[in-house]
Amino acid sequence: MRRVAVVGLGTTQFRARWTEKTYFELGFEAAKSALADAGLSRADVDCCVYGMSNDFFSRQSQPDMILHDYIGLPPKPSVRVNSGGATGGSALRIGFAEIASGMYDSCLVLGVEKCADCFDYEAGRSSPEMLRAALYAADMTYDNPAGRTAVSGYALAVAAHQEKFGGPAEEQMAKVSIKNHGNAIRNPNAQSPKEITIEDVMNSPKICGPFKLFDNCVISEGASAVILMSEEKAKEVAKNPVWITGVGAAHDWPSAGSRENLYEFAGSRIAARRALDMAGVNDARRDLDLAELNDAFTATEIMAYEDCFLCGEGEGGRMIDEGATLADGDMPVNLSGGLIGCGHAAGATGIMQTIEVCLHLRGEACERQRANARRGLVQSCGGPQNAWTVCLVLERGDA
Amino acid sequence: MPFNIGQRAKWYKYYSEKFGVSEDRLKREFEKELSGGTEIDDPLEIPDKMEIIFKYSYGEQSRFFRELRENKRIMGAKCVKCGQVYCPPRGDCHLCYEPTEWVELSGKGTIVSHTVQYVTASALVRKTPFICCYVQLDGADTLLMTNLEMDDVEKCQKGMRVVAHFRHDRHGDINDFYFKVAK
Repeated sequence: MRRVAVVGLGTTQFRARWTEKTYFELGFEAAKSALADAGLSRADVDCCVYGMSNDFFSRQSQPDMILHDYIGLPPKPSVRVNSGGATGGSALRIGFAEIASGMYDSCLVLGVEKCADCFDYEAGRSSPEMLRAALYAADMTYDNPAGRTAVSGYALAVAAHQEKFGGPAEEQMAKVSIKNHGNAIRNPNAQSPKEITIEDVMNSPKICGPFKLFDNCVISEGASAVILMSEEKAKEVAKNPVWITGVGAAHDWPSAGSRENLYEFAGSRIAARRALDMAGVNDARRDLDLAELNDAFTATEIMAYEDCFLCGEGEGGRMIDEGATLADGDMPVNLSGGLIGCGHAAGATGIMQTIEVCLHLRGEACERQRANARRGLVQSCGGPQNAWTVCLVLERGDA
Repeated sequence: MPFNIGQRAKWYKYYSEKFGVSEDRLKREFEKELSGGTEIDDPLEIPDKMEIIFKYSYGEQSRFFRELRENKRIMGAKCVKCGQVYCPPRGDCHLCYEPTEWVELSGKGTIVSHTVQYVTASALVRKTPFICCYVQLDGADTLLMTNLEMDDVEKCQKGMRVVAHFRHDRHGDINDFYFKVAK
């Protein structure tokens, strides 16, 4: 297997609503800035992987076909991947395989999502209709009629985790929200920079189960892109390559009734273990300098600490209590603001998280820079109760 | 030139009939645009709708839904090899790759995990707040995602015994029954 470098980074802002640009224009902007960052042109792209999740959001089936034309890449081969919230991570995994296998020397991995075109005229806002579009991803015969939304699926798993391990407590969950909205203040691309207090979170409106408004990520419109390259070609053109040294993925049982238990994300643990093993990381807490983990909900970030082996099972709440994952802690998590502070644009999210880690490894993360970052972890999750997980280990050029 | 009052009325009527959205709601969103409150290069938003109508088959699960509709019975699907009982049913066991056979379940079960939805998708808003839960039916090895109807939704607890209730009007879909706490 060949080594794979990340040589170009480009993203739009993540926003609640983009009316200034269409879906395809967002994709174009991300692709253009990633190519510019790499010092390349569209002619240098050998192949593409598109991360696009929900066709109802984009009001367009097979949007990859139209985007491919819009960014001028025919007749380069492309494939579109979709694994819900993990779509960005899956696109990176397939892009990695295109280069590592020797099939191609450069690959544009581009994720786009634009959900707020869905609109509920009764409520006068987007989110109820956007959630309706997402509900079509629940089993239409058995689960959709019962209301298995993304939120309720995770709420059921968190409730089971709380019963088994006594946590995470709602106050611990609130601390994650404060941290991630706060980190977003230093990220100019973030949708939801905010200074908030425990009381703000605890008193915010109930959404579902243990989740209140501020426990939820913000649904975003945005596009993110990276250029992946073989070692041979990267050495010719790249000034500051970052290396993908570990990749792990799992597709767990999406029906919780088929799982051995409800209280842990077993697939997420498998994906992380595989990525860490591939990168030769024995002690994740010691050997990683930062991580961008799935905070679709505050509680899932706490469970991610456990599932990525930053602590033992049931100990995630303690990590946030001790401040370990704060910006100035020993294992900062979601310096971008994560899905809660920066935003969640399904197809783009895993790529946004990867760009964030790359910026720190390149020493270009400005005022949110993790000092002397050498190695970071990305965890991209989607589907009911983390049905899909993709983990990536990224390392600095000289690491 | 912005639309005059007559043109605006026609525009609202056209989209109201086309998409089933009231003219008042359309007016709230588009009056500024149509009355000249935007510049020529400002982003222009417009209503649209995606809609497909289906006639789909339950395939090997057909009997499950006929039993619900006609006999108020909940059936499980039992693997002929390993004996695992699936509800929701499956035509084939996903562990053994062998077919299943029908077994009747009692309609009684236990809450395994539950949550209350307060804010949700537009299609479900009329139901809020409602309980979304996994029920393990007696005699089944898998979990059924379903709704529990209770006066106080906050009182739902893991381990509660529940029983299926059938609706008076049944259509042959999973909403033909729901659960209540067993007396």
